[in-house]
Amino acid sequence: MSEKNSVIMEVKNINLRFGGVIAIQNVSFNIFEGEIRAIIGPNGAGKSSMLNVINGFYHPQEGEVWFNGEKRPSMEPYQIAKTGIARTFQNIALFKGMTTIENVMTGRQLKMNKNFFWQMLRYGPAIDEEVQHRRRCEEIIDFLEINHIRKTPVGSLPYGLQKRVELARALAMDPKILLLDEPMAGMNVEEKQDMSRFIIDVNEEFGTTIALIEHDMAVVMDLADRVVVLDYGKLLADGTPAEVQSNQAVIDAYLGVPH
Amino acid sequence: MFYRETGQFKSKYKEELAAFPLAEDKVGIAILLVIAYVFIPIFGIPGLSFEFTMGAIMIPVFIFTITTLGLNILLGFAGQISLGTGAFMGVGAYSCYKIMTIFPDLNIIICVILSGFVTAIVGMIFGLPSLKIKGFYLIVATLAAQFFLEWAFIRVAWLYNYNDSGGIEGTNKEMFGLIVSGPQSDALTRYFIVLTLLVLLTWLASNVIRGRIGRSWMMIRDMDIAAELIGVRPLTAKLSAFAFSSFYIGISGALMVFFWLGAAEVESFDVSHSFTYLFMVIIGGLGSITGSYMGAALVWVIPVLIKEIGKTAFGFDAFVMENFSIIFLGVAIVVILIVEPHGLARLWQITKQKLRLWPFPY
Ligand SMILES: Nc1ncnc2c1ncn2[C@@H]1O[C@H](COP(=O)(O)OP(=O)(O)OP(=O)(O)O)[C@@H](O)[C@H]1O
Ligand SMILES: [Mg+2]
Repeated sequence: MSEKNSVIMEVKNINLRFGGVIAIQNVSFNIFEGEIRAIIGPNGAGKSSMLNVINGFYHPQEGEVWFNGEKRPSMEPYQIAKTGIARTFQNIALFKGMTTIENVMTGRQLKMNKNFFWQMLRYGPAIDEEVQHRRRCEEIIDFLEINHIRKTPVGSLPYGLQKRVELARALAMDPKILLLDEPMAGMNVEEKQDMSRFIIDVNEEFGTTIALIEHDMAVVMDLADRVVVLDYGKLLADGTPAEVQSNQAVIDAYLGVPH
Repeated sequence: MFYRETGQFKSKYKEELAAFPLAEDKVGIAILLVIAYVFIPIFGIPGLSFEFTMGAIMIPVFIFTITTLGLNILLGFAGQISLGTGAFMGVGAYSCYKIMTIFPDLNIIICVILSGFVTAIVGMIFGLPSLKIKGFYLIVATLAAQFFLEWAFIRVAWLYNYNDSGGIEGTNKEMFGLIVSGPQSDALTRYFIVLTLLVLLTWLASNVIRGRIGRSWMMIRDMDIAAELIGVRPLTAKLSAFAFSSFYIGISGALMVFFWLGAAEVESFDVSHSFTYLFMVIIGGLGSITGSYMGAALVWVIPVLIKEIGKTAFGFDAFVMENFSIIFLGVAIVVILIVEPHGLARLWQITKQKLRLWPFPY
């Protein structure tokens, strides 16, 4: 793991409202390069909204997002994807009509640029590019152990595997920061262990910075280097798993609530 | 076990990325090409006159397959619906007519391809609403395009060179000393030209949909929000789909007039035709190139054959048979959609799957 003290991403005083609903209220925290950062909190705390702010899908009314030491101007999601932010979704958002390998290949979309002419001929530069990116995707597929379902349409896969394909697709973007929205929701213990192992491997082998939302506290305590706790859109605590776990406000607001 | 994947290992990704990675598919395509290029021109279709085979079956089926490919690119691959296909064929036909008027000596194939480009631009303009609206509202917008274009084909007399008939008509066009289009052209010559364009356009389409651009269309179709967060720009993806699709539809419209009908008026491009092409895509199978062939063939050939059989075998008059074939087509559509909502292409897939295991049930 790389040195964990340089800030790669920082959100400052984020305020996000939907009409009368205040989803995020004056939240600030940072993410170090190479760390696994967990975001936890009860349902409706604003966790997913926070990820949506980070990858540009939601535009907060107030606040700043700093990335790589620069204040990020207002951008469209597809532009933000270019800067190296990838994510998975709380409700799986795979391309249902495509196979596993095709889904993973979509992660390379931004790195491919051969024009319509070559695409039509599927020859020369276009096919070279396709082969080169295909190779990387096959590596990721090997890495996540989803070889056996390469050619399967993702719509017919069980839930746990779909989550894994989604991770593969995000990894195919070679992201600097990977945002995972409840990657283990709805999984059994064994699937959760597999997924935890993959997350750690991604972090260690590729050096990818990871921000993840997770409800399972045992998992969070195992995986995360640092934890942000949100509650009703407000920042409740921020620190190492041990610090957060012993924080009285967190115990009252969150750990006391059964999940 | 006629059809098998096992035992055919791909040592390079490049081989796997080829159009037909399976040897059986390659053989199948080769056989079809030989039938189309050699057998049908020599032997025709058994039981049918040569003229009927060419003029009523083969040439129109090939042309409508190009139309269906075009519409399928938009609807099946990019998920954007359009009811303006008839009118977009009109754009291809009228622009080809104008290009031929302005450049009388230009090779007609080049005129046809240029009219495809004109239609691509028009299609892109009428595709602009898709950036803001989806589904039902987009249908209405494309319907508006259909009616606007129909209006233009009647009111803008410049489009048909101010002639009294209000229609457009092909004249004899030569290529390498051979008359390829117009009243004196030979059906077989036109057959080969249309067939060759169809083969080329099929190849190009299958290339595009398997590459980066084709994937961007399917991403928008399947989950537009995720597509955007991965870096697909909806504007580029949608408009390129409209353009590419319209390119095909425009070419098919020009071919329809100058390589099949010989002349046309606005009725050849009306909304009922748009529906027919939509049926071809849906019956064949959304998002399938093979399905585009099957849908166009079935929807075109069955009514033609019913009419012909009714006329020659039973002596029914054309009007009765016309209605009968419409009813038959309607029933066929409903039955196919109930049996297999994914169209003929899926039925073909299932058959292939069975052939893979044959003679074992599993
Ligand atoms: N697009 C939206 N439009 C309106 N309200 C929204 C929208 N997105 C989120 N909200 C509201 O913002 C609040 C925070 O939602 P968010 O999805 O971020 O919570 P969460 O912490 O991810 O919860 P969960 O654990 O259930 O996933 C909720 O009250 C939610 O209803
Ligand atoms: Mg959430």
